[in-house]
Amino acid sequence: MDVAATRFDPWLGAIAILGIALGLWLLGRGMRGYRDAIRLGDTATSRISTLAAGEVRVSGVVDVAELTLVSPLQSAACVYYEATIGDAGSLIDLDPRFRERRAVGFRLRDASGSIRVFPRGARWDAPTCFAGSTGVLGEEPPGLMLRTGSAVADGELDRDAAVAALLSVRPALTGSADGPLRVTGGWPGAFGPATSRRRSYHETRLAPGDPVTIVGRALPFSDLSDPAEADVALDAESGPDDPEVTGDIAEARQAGLLADTPDAAWGNAAIPGFGIGRPVRGPDIDPAARSLPLATRDEAARSDRRFRIAPETLVLASAPGVPLLIAYGLPTGAVARGHDRFIVGLLGALLAIGSALGLAAMIGGAAGR
Amino acid sequence: MSPMAFVAAFAVGLLAAIVLFIAVMDYNAVMALRQRIDKAWSNIDVVLKQRDDQLPALVSAVRGLMRFEQSVLTDVARARAAYSPTEPIPDQAVHADVTSRAVRSLLAVVEAYPEVHSDTNVLDLQAEIERLEGMIADRRELYNDQVYRYNARISTFPTLVLAPLFGWRPREFFAAPTSDLDRPVAGL
Repeated sequence: MDVAATRFDPWLGAIAILGIALGLWLLGRGMRGYRDAIRLGDTATSRISTLAAGEVRVSGVVDVAELTLVSPLQSAACVYYEATIGDAGSLIDLDPRFRERRAVGFRLRDASGSIRVFPRGARWDAPTCFAGSTGVLGEEPPGLMLRTGSAVADGELDRDAAVAALLSVRPALTGSADGPLRVTGGWPGAFGPATSRRRSYHETRLAPGDPVTIVGRALPFSDLSDPAEADVALDAESGPDDPEVTGDIAEARQAGLLADTPDAAWGNAAIPGFGIGRPVRGPDIDPAARSLPLATRDEAARSDRRFRIAPETLVLASAPGVPLLIAYGLPTGAVARGHDRFIVGLLGALLAIGSALGLAAMIGGAAGR
Repeated sequence: MSPMAFVAAFAVGLLAAIVLFIAVMDYNAVMALRQRIDKAWSNIDVVLKQRDDQLPALVSAVRGLMRFEQSVLTDVARARAAYSPTEPIPDQAVHADVTSRAVRSLLAVVEAYPEVHSDTNVLDLQAEIERLEGMIADRRELYNDQVYRYNARISTFPTLVLAPLFGWRPREFFAAPTSDLDRPVAGL
Protein backbone atom coordinates (compact mmCIF):
# COMPACT_ATOMS: atom_id res chain seq x y z
CA MET A 1 0.00 0.00 0.00
CA ASP A 2 1.33 3.39 -0.93
CA VAL A 3 0.83 5.38 2.25
CA ALA A 4 1.96 8.59 0.62
CA ALA A 5 -0.97 8.38 -1.75
CA THR A 6 -3.48 7.91 1.09
CA ARG A 7 -6.25 10.47 0.93
CA PHE A 8 -6.74 12.51 4.11
CA ASP A 9 -9.96 11.46 5.78
CA PRO A 10 -11.11 13.77 8.62
CA TRP A 11 -12.68 10.84 10.48
CA LEU A 12 -9.53 8.77 10.30
CA GLY A 13 -7.56 11.84 11.34
CA ALA A 14 -9.80 12.29 14.37
CA ILE A 15 -9.40 8.60 15.27
CA ALA A 16 -5.62 8.92 14.98
CA ILE A 17 -5.63 11.97 17.27
CA LEU A 18 -7.85 10.09 19.71
CA GLY A 19 -5.40 7.17 19.54
CA ILE A 20 -2.51 9.48 20.42
CA ALA A 21 -4.46 10.97 23.33
CA LEU A 22 -5.59 7.56 24.59
CA GLY A 23 -2.08 6.12 24.27
CA LEU A 24 -0.52 9.00 26.20
CA TRP A 25 -3.23 8.76 28.85
CA LEU A 26 -2.55 5.04 29.26
CA LEU A 27 1.17 5.75 29.46
CA GLY A 28 0.64 8.32 32.19
CA ARG A 29 -1.58 5.92 34.10
CA GLY A 30 1.01 3.18 33.67
CA MET A 31 3.77 5.42 35.01
CA ARG A 32 1.69 6.18 38.09
CA GLY A 33 1.11 2.44 38.49
CA TYR A 34 4.86 1.78 38.23
CA ARG A 35 5.62 4.43 40.85
CA ASP A 36 3.01 2.99 43.23
CA ALA A 37 4.19 -0.58 42.61
CA ILE A 38 7.77 0.41 43.51
CA ARG A 39 6.61 2.14 46.66
CA LEU A 40 4.42 -0.76 47.72
CA GLY A 41 6.83 -3.50 46.71
CA ASP A 42 9.99 -2.02 48.20
CA THR A 43 8.66 -1.55 51.71
CA ALA A 44 8.54 -4.51 54.08
CA THR A 45 5.30 -5.15 55.94
CA SER A 46 5.35 -4.15 59.60
CA ARG A 47 3.20 -5.63 62.34
CA ILE A 48 0.95 -3.03 63.82
CA SER A 49 1.75 -4.00 67.43
CA THR A 50 5.48 -3.34 66.98
CA LEU A 51 5.23 -0.43 64.59
CA ALA A 52 7.98 2.17 64.78
CA ALA A 53 7.46 5.79 63.77
CA GLY A 54 8.44 6.63 60.19
CA GLU A 55 7.50 5.37 56.76
CA VAL A 56 5.86 1.95 57.03
CA ARG A 57 3.79 -0.54 55.09
CA VAL A 58 0.96 -2.28 56.87
CA SER A 59 -1.54 -4.71 55.54
CA GLY A 60 -4.82 -5.75 57.10
CA VAL A 61 -8.54 -5.33 57.10
CA VAL A 62 -10.55 -2.10 57.18
CA ASP A 63 -12.43 -1.53 60.44
CA VAL A 64 -14.83 1.30 61.15
CA ALA A 65 -13.49 4.03 63.45
CA GLU A 66 -16.42 6.30 64.30
CA LEU A 67 -18.33 6.91 61.10
CA THR A 68 -18.90 5.36 57.73
CA LEU A 69 -19.85 6.95 54.44
CA VAL A 70 -22.84 5.97 52.36
CA SER A 71 -21.88 5.55 48.71
CA PRO A 72 -23.92 7.61 46.21
CA LEU A 73 -24.75 4.90 43.66
CA GLN A 74 -25.31 1.81 45.78
CA SER A 75 -25.96 3.25 49.25
CA ALA A 76 -23.30 0.92 50.61
CA ALA A 77 -21.43 1.58 53.86
CA CYS A 78 -17.81 2.40 53.09
CA VAL A 79 -14.82 4.45 54.19
CA TYR A 80 -13.95 5.76 50.71
CA TYR A 81 -15.78 6.14 47.45
CA GLU A 82 -15.45 7.78 44.07
CA ALA A 83 -18.62 7.86 42.02
CA THR A 84 -19.16 9.24 38.53
CA ILE A 85 -22.20 9.56 36.32
CA GLY A 86 -21.57 10.39 32.70
CA ASP A 87 -22.94 9.88 29.24
CA ALA A 88 -23.00 6.23 28.18
CA GLY A 89 -21.07 5.35 25.06
CA SER A 90 -18.09 7.69 25.37
CA LEU A 91 -14.72 5.94 25.39
CA ILE A 92 -13.13 8.19 28.00
CA ASP A 93 -15.35 10.48 29.99
CA LEU A 94 -12.97 13.19 31.17
CA ASP A 95 -15.74 15.51 32.25
CA PRO A 96 -18.59 13.44 33.72
CA ARG A 97 -21.84 15.10 34.64
CA PHE A 98 -21.40 14.12 38.27
CA ARG A 99 -18.30 13.19 40.22
CA GLU A 100 -17.99 12.77 43.97
CA ARG A 101 -15.02 11.55 45.94
CA ARG A 102 -14.93 11.27 49.68
CA ALA A 103 -13.22 9.45 52.55
CA VAL A 104 -13.39 9.21 56.33
CA GLY A 105 -10.87 8.02 58.87
CA PHE A 106 -10.87 4.33 59.65
CA ARG A 107 -8.91 1.71 61.52
CA LEU A 108 -6.65 -0.89 59.95
CA ARG A 109 -6.50 -4.23 61.77
CA ASP A 110 -3.99 -7.03 61.39
CA ALA A 111 -3.38 -10.15 63.49
CA SER A 112 -1.39 -8.17 66.06
CA GLY A 113 -3.51 -5.05 66.57
CA SER A 114 -5.09 -2.06 64.90
CA ILE A 115 -4.10 1.49 63.99
CA ARG A 116 -6.04 4.61 63.15
CA VAL A 117 -5.68 5.92 59.56
CA PHE A 118 -6.19 9.58 58.63
CA PRO A 119 -6.63 9.55 54.87
CA ARG A 120 -6.27 13.23 54.07
CA GLY A 121 -4.25 13.69 50.88
CA ALA A 122 -4.11 9.93 50.28
CA ARG A 123 -3.82 8.24 46.88
CA TRP A 124 -6.38 5.46 46.54
CA ASP A 125 -6.40 2.31 44.50
CA ALA A 126 -9.90 0.99 45.12
CA PRO A 127 -11.76 -1.68 43.18
CA THR A 128 -14.70 -0.94 40.92
CA CYS A 129 -17.76 -2.12 42.81
CA PHE A 130 -20.40 -0.94 40.42
CA ALA A 131 -20.41 -0.15 36.71
CA GLY A 132 -23.42 -0.02 34.45
CA SER A 133 -25.41 2.14 32.13
CA THR A 134 -28.98 2.96 31.30
CA GLY A 135 -30.60 0.45 28.96
CA VAL A 136 -31.94 1.34 25.53
CA LEU A 137 -35.47 1.45 26.94
CA GLY A 138 -34.46 3.74 29.78
CA GLU A 139 -34.25 1.09 32.46
CA GLU A 140 -31.57 1.62 35.07
CA PRO A 141 -28.87 -1.05 35.60
CA PRO A 142 -29.46 -3.73 38.25
CA GLY A 143 -27.78 -2.90 41.53
CA LEU A 144 -28.23 0.85 41.24
CA MET A 145 -29.57 2.06 44.57
CA LEU A 146 -29.08 5.80 44.74
CA ARG A 147 -28.39 7.37 48.10
CA THR A 148 -31.38 9.30 49.31
CA GLY A 149 -30.28 10.24 52.82
CA SER A 150 -27.17 11.44 54.58
CA ALA A 151 -23.74 10.70 53.15
CA VAL A 152 -22.46 9.85 56.64
CA ALA A 153 -23.69 7.14 59.00
CA ASP A 154 -22.84 6.04 62.52
CA GLY A 155 -20.06 3.48 62.44
CA GLU A 156 -21.59 1.28 65.12
CA LEU A 157 -23.92 -1.30 63.70
CA ASP A 158 -27.41 -0.87 65.00
CA ARG A 159 -28.99 -4.31 64.77
CA ASP A 160 -32.57 -3.06 64.46
CA ALA A 161 -31.62 -0.54 61.79
CA ALA A 162 -29.72 -3.22 59.86
CA VAL A 163 -32.70 -5.58 59.99
CA ALA A 164 -35.05 -2.80 58.90
CA ALA A 165 -32.75 -1.91 56.00
CA LEU A 166 -32.63 -5.52 54.86
CA LEU A 167 -36.40 -5.88 55.00
CA SER A 168 -37.14 -2.58 53.27
CA VAL A 169 -38.40 -2.80 49.71
CA ARG A 170 -37.12 0.06 47.62
CA PRO A 171 -38.81 1.19 44.45
CA ALA A 172 -37.06 0.26 41.24
CA LEU A 173 -35.46 3.11 39.36
CA THR A 174 -36.69 3.65 35.84
CA GLY A 175 -36.39 6.28 33.22
CA SER A 176 -40.15 6.62 33.07
CA ALA A 177 -42.37 9.47 32.04
CA ASP A 178 -41.33 11.29 35.22
CA GLY A 179 -37.92 11.70 33.68
CA PRO A 180 -34.67 9.92 34.32
CA LEU A 181 -33.35 9.65 37.87
CA ARG A 182 -36.14 11.47 39.55
CA VAL A 183 -35.08 9.91 42.87
CA THR A 184 -31.97 12.01 42.83
CA GLY A 185 -33.68 15.11 44.05
CA GLY A 186 -31.18 15.18 46.92
CA TRP A 187 -28.55 16.49 44.50
CA PRO A 188 -30.13 19.47 42.86
CA GLY A 189 -28.43 20.32 39.62
CA ALA A 190 -25.86 17.57 40.02
CA PHE A 191 -26.63 16.04 36.65
CA GLY A 192 -27.18 19.23 34.74
CA PRO A 193 -30.23 19.88 32.62
CA ALA A 194 -32.68 17.06 32.04
CA THR A 195 -31.73 14.94 29.07
CA SER A 196 -32.84 11.75 27.41
CA ARG A 197 -29.27 10.55 26.76
CA ARG A 198 -28.22 7.28 28.35
CA ARG A 199 -26.13 7.49 31.47
CA SER A 200 -23.15 5.45 32.59
CA TYR A 201 -22.48 4.79 36.27
CA HIS A 202 -19.20 3.96 37.91
CA GLU A 203 -18.33 3.57 41.57
CA THR A 204 -15.13 2.52 43.29
CA ARG A 205 -15.06 2.14 47.04
CA LEU A 206 -13.44 0.54 50.06
CA ALA A 207 -15.75 -0.94 52.65
CA PRO A 208 -15.32 -2.27 56.18
CA GLY A 209 -13.89 -5.78 55.98
CA ASP A 210 -11.96 -5.14 52.75
CA PRO A 211 -8.28 -6.14 52.79
CA VAL A 212 -5.98 -3.19 52.12
CA THR A 213 -2.29 -2.42 52.01
CA ILE A 214 -1.16 1.02 53.15
CA VAL A 215 2.18 2.75 52.75
CA GLY A 216 2.53 5.94 54.71
CA ARG A 217 4.03 7.59 57.70
CA ALA A 218 3.36 6.38 61.23
CA LEU A 219 3.48 9.28 63.63
CA PRO A 220 2.12 10.18 67.07
CA PHE A 221 -1.39 11.61 66.94
CA SER A 222 -0.12 14.83 68.54
CA ASP A 223 2.18 15.40 65.54
CA LEU A 224 -0.71 15.68 63.10
CA SER A 225 -0.83 19.25 61.91
CA ASP A 226 -4.60 19.34 61.73
CA PRO A 227 -6.32 16.31 63.29
CA ALA A 228 -9.76 17.87 62.98
CA GLU A 229 -9.56 17.91 59.19
CA ALA A 230 -7.19 15.03 58.60
CA ASP A 231 -9.81 12.39 58.03
CA VAL A 232 -12.41 14.18 55.96
CA ALA A 233 -10.71 16.29 53.29
CA LEU A 234 -8.88 14.60 50.45
CA ASP A 235 -6.78 17.36 48.99
CA ALA A 236 -3.96 18.62 51.17
CA GLU A 237 -3.11 21.58 48.95
CA SER A 238 -5.20 24.12 50.84
CA GLY A 239 -4.75 23.33 54.52
CA PRO A 240 -5.22 25.69 57.44
CA ASP A 241 -1.57 26.74 57.12
CA ASP A 242 -2.28 28.21 53.71
CA PRO A 243 -1.79 31.99 53.96
CA GLU A 244 -4.88 32.60 51.87
CA VAL A 245 -7.00 30.40 54.15
CA THR A 246 -5.53 32.06 57.25
CA GLY A 247 -6.30 35.47 55.77
CA ASP A 248 -9.86 34.46 54.95
CA ILE A 249 -10.40 33.12 58.47
CA ALA A 250 -9.06 36.33 60.06
CA GLU A 251 -11.22 38.43 57.77
CA ALA A 252 -14.30 36.35 58.57
CA ARG A 253 -13.61 36.68 62.31
CA GLN A 254 -13.24 40.45 62.00
CA ALA A 255 -16.46 40.68 60.07
CA GLY A 256 -18.24 38.66 62.76
CA LEU A 257 -19.02 35.82 60.34
CA LEU A 258 -16.88 33.27 62.17
CA ALA A 259 -17.11 32.54 65.88
CA ASP A 260 -14.08 31.96 68.07
CA THR A 261 -15.18 28.66 69.59
CA PRO A 262 -17.40 25.74 68.55
CA ASP A 263 -19.73 26.57 71.46
CA ALA A 264 -20.17 30.10 70.20
CA ALA A 265 -20.69 28.91 66.62
CA TRP A 266 -22.96 25.94 67.09
CA GLY A 267 -24.38 26.24 70.59
CA ASN A 268 -25.82 22.95 71.74
CA ALA A 269 -24.62 21.17 68.62
CA ALA A 270 -21.04 21.55 69.90
CA ILE A 271 -21.76 19.33 72.90
CA PRO A 272 -20.16 15.89 72.38
CA GLY A 273 -22.85 13.29 71.73
CA PHE A 274 -25.50 15.87 70.88
CA GLY A 275 -25.65 14.81 67.24
CA ILE A 276 -26.47 11.20 68.12
CA GLY A 277 -29.08 12.08 70.70
CA ARG A 278 -26.88 11.35 73.74
CA PRO A 279 -25.24 14.62 74.83
CA VAL A 280 -22.67 14.23 77.59
CA ARG A 281 -24.09 17.30 79.38
CA GLY A 282 -27.39 19.01 79.39
CA PRO A 283 -27.95 21.38 76.48
CA ASP A 284 -29.15 24.96 76.99
CA ILE A 285 -32.64 24.73 75.68
CA ASP A 286 -35.83 26.66 75.56
CA PRO A 287 -37.78 25.71 78.72
CA ALA A 288 -40.74 24.90 76.53
CA ALA A 289 -38.79 22.48 74.38
CA ARG A 290 -38.74 18.72 74.90
CA SER A 291 -35.52 17.75 76.71
CA LEU A 292 -33.19 15.06 75.39
CA PRO A 293 -32.28 12.07 77.55
CA LEU A 294 -28.74 12.41 78.91
CA ALA A 295 -26.23 9.70 78.09
CA THR A 296 -25.66 7.16 80.80
CA ARG A 297 -22.22 6.91 82.32
CA ASP A 298 -21.46 3.82 80.23
CA GLU A 299 -22.63 5.49 77.02
CA ALA A 300 -20.60 8.60 77.78
CA ALA A 301 -17.51 6.45 78.47
CA ARG A 302 -18.09 4.52 75.24
CA SER A 303 -18.37 7.73 73.22
CA ASP A 304 -15.23 9.01 74.88
CA ARG A 305 -13.34 5.84 73.96
CA ARG A 306 -14.53 6.05 70.37
CA PHE A 307 -13.65 9.66 69.75
CA ARG A 308 -10.66 10.34 71.99
CA ILE A 309 -7.17 9.49 70.75
CA ALA A 310 -4.22 9.73 73.17
CA PRO A 311 -1.51 12.15 71.96
CA GLU A 312 1.22 9.50 71.95
CA THR A 313 -0.83 6.95 69.97
CA LEU A 314 0.74 6.14 66.61
CA VAL A 315 -1.51 6.84 63.62
CA LEU A 316 -1.04 6.60 59.87
CA ALA A 317 -1.25 9.79 57.85
CA SER A 318 0.23 11.62 54.89
CA ALA A 319 3.34 13.69 55.44
CA PRO A 320 4.79 16.45 53.26
CA GLY A 321 6.21 14.67 50.22
CA VAL A 322 5.07 11.28 51.52
CA PRO A 323 1.41 10.84 50.61
CA LEU A 324 -0.51 7.96 52.05
CA LEU A 325 -1.03 5.19 49.48
CA ILE A 326 -4.04 3.02 50.18
CA ALA A 327 -4.42 0.04 47.86
CA TYR A 328 -7.04 -2.66 47.87
CA GLY A 329 -5.85 -6.20 48.54
CA LEU A 330 -2.75 -7.88 49.83
CA PRO A 331 0.69 -6.40 48.99
CA THR A 332 1.48 -8.87 46.21
CA GLY A 333 -1.85 -8.22 44.48
CA ALA A 334 -1.50 -4.45 44.74
CA VAL A 335 2.06 -4.56 43.35
CA ALA A 336 1.00 -6.85 40.50
CA ARG A 337 -1.79 -4.43 39.60
CA GLY A 338 0.71 -1.58 39.36
CA HIS A 339 2.98 -3.63 37.11
CA ASP A 340 0.04 -4.62 34.91
CA ARG A 341 -0.86 -0.95 34.51
CA PHE A 342 2.69 -0.19 33.47
CA ILE A 343 2.61 -2.91 30.81
CA VAL A 344 -0.67 -1.48 29.52
CA GLY A 345 0.97 1.96 29.61
CA LEU A 346 3.81 0.71 27.40
CA LEU A 347 1.22 -0.67 24.98
CA GLY A 348 -0.40 2.77 25.15
CA ALA A 349 2.92 4.32 24.09
CA LEU A 350 2.97 1.98 21.10
CA LEU A 351 -0.60 2.97 20.30
CA ALA A 352 0.33 6.65 20.45
CA ILE A 353 3.32 6.13 18.15
CA GLY A 354 1.26 4.02 15.74
CA SER A 355 -1.50 6.61 15.69
CA ALA A 356 1.02 9.40 15.09
CA LEU A 357 2.49 7.36 12.24
CA GLY A 358 -0.96 6.94 10.67
CA LEU A 359 -1.73 10.63 11.08
CA ALA A 360 1.59 11.60 9.52
CA ALA A 361 0.95 9.24 6.59
CA MET A 362 -2.46 10.81 6.00
CA ILE A 363 -1.13 14.38 6.24
CA GLY A 364 1.84 13.51 4.01
CA GLY A 365 -0.42 11.78 1.52
CA ALA A 366 -2.82 14.72 1.38
CA ALA A 367 0.03 17.20 1.02
CA GLY A 368 1.70 15.14 -1.74
CA ARG A 369 -1.38 14.80 -3.92
CA MET B 1 10.05 19.31 9.24
CA SER B 2 8.18 16.64 7.32
CA PRO B 3 5.37 14.73 9.06
CA MET B 4 7.42 11.53 9.09
CA ALA B 5 10.38 13.28 10.70
CA PHE B 6 8.01 14.71 13.27
CA VAL B 7 6.66 11.22 14.04
CA ALA B 8 10.20 9.86 14.32
CA ALA B 9 11.10 12.61 16.78
CA PHE B 10 7.89 11.94 18.71
CA ALA B 11 8.63 8.22 18.93
CA VAL B 12 12.24 8.72 19.99
CA GLY B 13 11.21 11.35 22.53
CA LEU B 14 8.55 9.09 23.98
CA LEU B 15 10.90 6.12 24.28
CA ALA B 16 13.61 8.34 25.82
CA ALA B 17 11.06 9.67 28.32
CA ILE B 18 10.06 6.12 29.30
CA VAL B 19 13.69 5.02 29.74
CA LEU B 20 14.51 8.15 31.73
CA PHE B 21 11.42 7.64 33.87
CA ILE B 22 12.37 4.06 34.67
CA ALA B 23 15.97 5.05 35.45
CA VAL B 24 14.93 7.88 37.76
CA MET B 25 12.27 5.81 39.51
CA ASP B 26 14.67 2.91 40.05
CA TYR B 27 17.44 5.16 41.31
CA ASN B 28 15.04 6.80 43.77
CA ALA B 29 13.72 3.38 44.79
CA VAL B 30 17.21 2.13 45.64
CA MET B 31 17.98 5.31 47.58
CA ALA B 32 14.72 4.89 49.51
CA LEU B 33 15.52 1.23 50.19
CA ARG B 34 18.92 2.15 51.63
CA GLN B 35 17.27 4.69 53.89
CA ARG B 36 14.71 2.14 55.02
CA ILE B 37 17.42 -0.41 55.80
CA ASP B 38 19.31 2.17 57.88
CA LYS B 39 16.11 3.09 59.67
CA ALA B 40 15.20 -0.55 60.29
CA TRP B 41 18.66 -1.14 61.72
CA SER B 42 18.35 1.91 63.99
CA ASN B 43 15.03 0.57 65.25
CA ILE B 44 16.68 -2.75 66.16
CA ASP B 45 19.56 -0.95 67.83
CA VAL B 46 17.18 1.07 69.99
CA VAL B 47 15.45 -2.06 71.31
CA LEU B 48 18.74 -3.91 71.83
CA LYS B 49 19.94 -1.02 73.98
CA GLN B 50 16.67 -0.97 75.90
CA ARG B 51 17.02 -4.67 76.60
CA ASP B 52 20.64 -4.29 77.66
CA ASP B 53 19.59 -1.50 80.01
CA GLN B 54 17.02 -3.79 81.65
CA LEU B 55 19.30 -6.81 82.09
CA PRO B 56 21.43 -5.52 85.04
CA ALA B 57 18.24 -4.73 86.95
CA LEU B 58 16.91 -8.25 86.37
CA VAL B 59 20.23 -9.87 87.30
CA SER B 60 20.54 -7.86 90.51
CA ALA B 61 16.91 -8.60 91.41
CA VAL B 62 17.39 -12.35 91.24
CA ARG B 63 21.06 -12.66 92.27
CA GLY B 64 20.45 -12.87 96.01
CA LEU B 65 17.64 -15.37 95.67
CA MET B 66 19.26 -17.73 93.17
CA ARG B 67 22.26 -19.08 95.03
CA PHE B 68 22.88 -22.19 92.99
CA GLU B 69 22.51 -20.79 89.47
CA GLN B 70 25.34 -18.28 89.33
CA SER B 71 26.58 -19.61 85.98
CA VAL B 72 23.32 -18.55 84.31
CA LEU B 73 23.73 -15.04 85.67
CA THR B 74 27.34 -14.98 84.57
CA ASP B 75 26.33 -16.00 81.04
CA VAL B 76 23.88 -13.11 80.83
CA ALA B 77 26.43 -10.62 82.11
CA ARG B 78 29.11 -11.91 79.75
CA ALA B 79 26.81 -11.85 76.72
CA ARG B 80 25.70 -8.31 77.50
CA ALA B 81 29.28 -7.11 77.91
CA ALA B 82 30.29 -8.60 74.55
CA TYR B 83 27.79 -6.55 72.59
CA SER B 84 29.14 -3.49 70.81
CA PRO B 85 27.07 -1.32 68.47
CA THR B 86 30.16 -0.47 66.38
CA GLU B 87 30.76 -4.07 65.30
CA PRO B 88 29.82 -5.36 61.85
CA ILE B 89 26.17 -6.39 61.65
CA PRO B 90 26.78 -10.19 61.56
CA ASP B 91 28.91 -9.93 64.74
CA GLN B 92 26.21 -7.89 66.42
CA ALA B 93 23.70 -10.52 65.35
CA VAL B 94 25.83 -13.22 67.00
CA HIS B 95 26.03 -11.30 70.27
CA ALA B 96 22.34 -10.41 70.18
CA ASP B 97 21.47 -14.07 69.67
CA VAL B 98 23.77 -15.24 72.44
CA THR B 99 22.27 -12.66 74.79
CA SER B 100 18.74 -13.73 73.86
CA ARG B 101 19.59 -17.36 74.57
CA ALA B 102 21.18 -16.47 77.90
CA VAL B 103 18.13 -14.42 78.85
CA ARG B 104 15.80 -17.26 77.88
CA SER B 105 17.84 -19.65 80.05
CA LEU B 106 17.67 -17.20 82.95
CA LEU B 107 13.91 -16.79 82.60
CA ALA B 108 13.49 -20.56 82.45
CA VAL B 109 15.51 -20.98 85.64
CA VAL B 110 13.51 -18.24 87.36
CA GLU B 111 10.39 -20.34 86.81
CA ALA B 112 11.92 -23.01 89.08
CA TYR B 113 12.24 -20.59 92.02
CA PRO B 114 8.75 -19.80 93.35
CA GLU B 115 10.05 -17.13 95.73
CA VAL B 116 11.77 -15.37 92.82
CA HIS B 117 8.98 -15.89 90.37
CA SER B 118 6.40 -14.38 92.73
CA ASP B 119 8.42 -11.23 93.32
CA THR B 120 6.55 -8.31 91.73
CA ASN B 121 9.73 -6.53 90.69
CA VAL B 122 11.05 -9.65 88.98
CA LEU B 123 7.72 -10.24 87.28
CA ASP B 124 7.68 -6.70 85.92
CA LEU B 125 11.25 -6.97 84.66
CA GLN B 126 10.52 -10.37 83.14
CA ALA B 127 7.46 -9.03 81.32
CA GLU B 128 9.38 -6.03 80.03
CA ILE B 129 12.30 -8.12 78.79
CA GLU B 130 9.96 -10.59 77.12
CA ARG B 131 8.22 -7.66 75.40
CA LEU B 132 11.56 -6.31 74.21
CA GLU B 133 12.62 -9.76 73.00
CA GLY B 134 9.42 -9.93 70.94
CA MET B 135 10.12 -6.50 69.48
CA ILE B 136 13.68 -7.50 68.60
CA ALA B 137 12.38 -10.55 66.76
CA ASP B 138 9.78 -8.52 64.84
CA ARG B 139 12.16 -5.73 63.90
CA ARG B 140 14.87 -8.17 62.95
CA GLU B 141 12.42 -9.82 60.57
CA LEU B 142 11.50 -6.41 59.16
CA TYR B 143 15.18 -5.49 58.70
CA ASN B 144 15.98 -8.74 56.94
CA ASP B 145 12.92 -8.34 54.71
CA GLN B 146 14.08 -4.85 53.77
CA VAL B 147 17.61 -6.08 53.04
CA TYR B 148 16.17 -8.89 50.92
CA ARG B 149 14.18 -6.38 48.87
CA TYR B 150 17.24 -4.17 48.38
CA ASN B 151 19.48 -7.09 47.39
CA ALA B 152 16.80 -8.43 45.04
CA ARG B 153 16.29 -5.04 43.42
CA ILE B 154 19.94 -4.31 42.69
CA SER B 155 20.42 -7.78 41.25
CA THR B 156 17.46 -7.71 38.86
CA PHE B 157 16.78 -5.84 35.64
CA PRO B 158 16.51 -2.88 35.10
CA THR B 159 18.26 -1.75 38.32
CA LEU B 160 21.00 -4.28 37.62
CA VAL B 161 22.24 -1.91 34.90
CA LEU B 162 22.51 1.00 37.33
CA ALA B 163 24.15 -0.93 40.21
CA PRO B 164 27.74 -0.95 38.84
CA LEU B 165 27.46 2.71 37.85
CA PHE B 166 26.63 3.80 41.38
CA GLY B 167 28.60 1.12 43.25
CA TRP B 168 25.60 -0.50 44.93
CA ARG B 169 26.58 -3.66 46.82
CA PRO B 170 24.38 -6.21 48.58
CA ARG B 171 23.80 -5.54 52.28
CA GLU B 172 24.28 -8.12 55.03
CA PHE B 173 21.38 -9.75 56.82
CA PHE B 174 20.99 -9.53 60.57
CA ALA B 175 21.61 -13.23 61.02
CA ALA B 176 24.26 -15.09 62.92
CA PRO B 177 26.11 -17.85 61.06
CA THR B 178 25.02 -21.15 62.59
CA SER B 179 28.64 -22.11 63.27
CA ASP B 180 28.96 -19.13 65.61
CA LEU B 181 26.12 -20.23 67.83
CA ASP B 182 26.01 -23.03 70.33
CA ARG B 183 23.85 -25.84 69.13
CA PRO B 184 20.82 -26.31 71.36
CA VAL B 185 21.21 -29.29 73.62
CA ALA B 186 18.38 -31.76 73.38
CA GLY B 187 17.66 -33.28 76.75
CA LEU B 188 15.07 -35.56 78.22
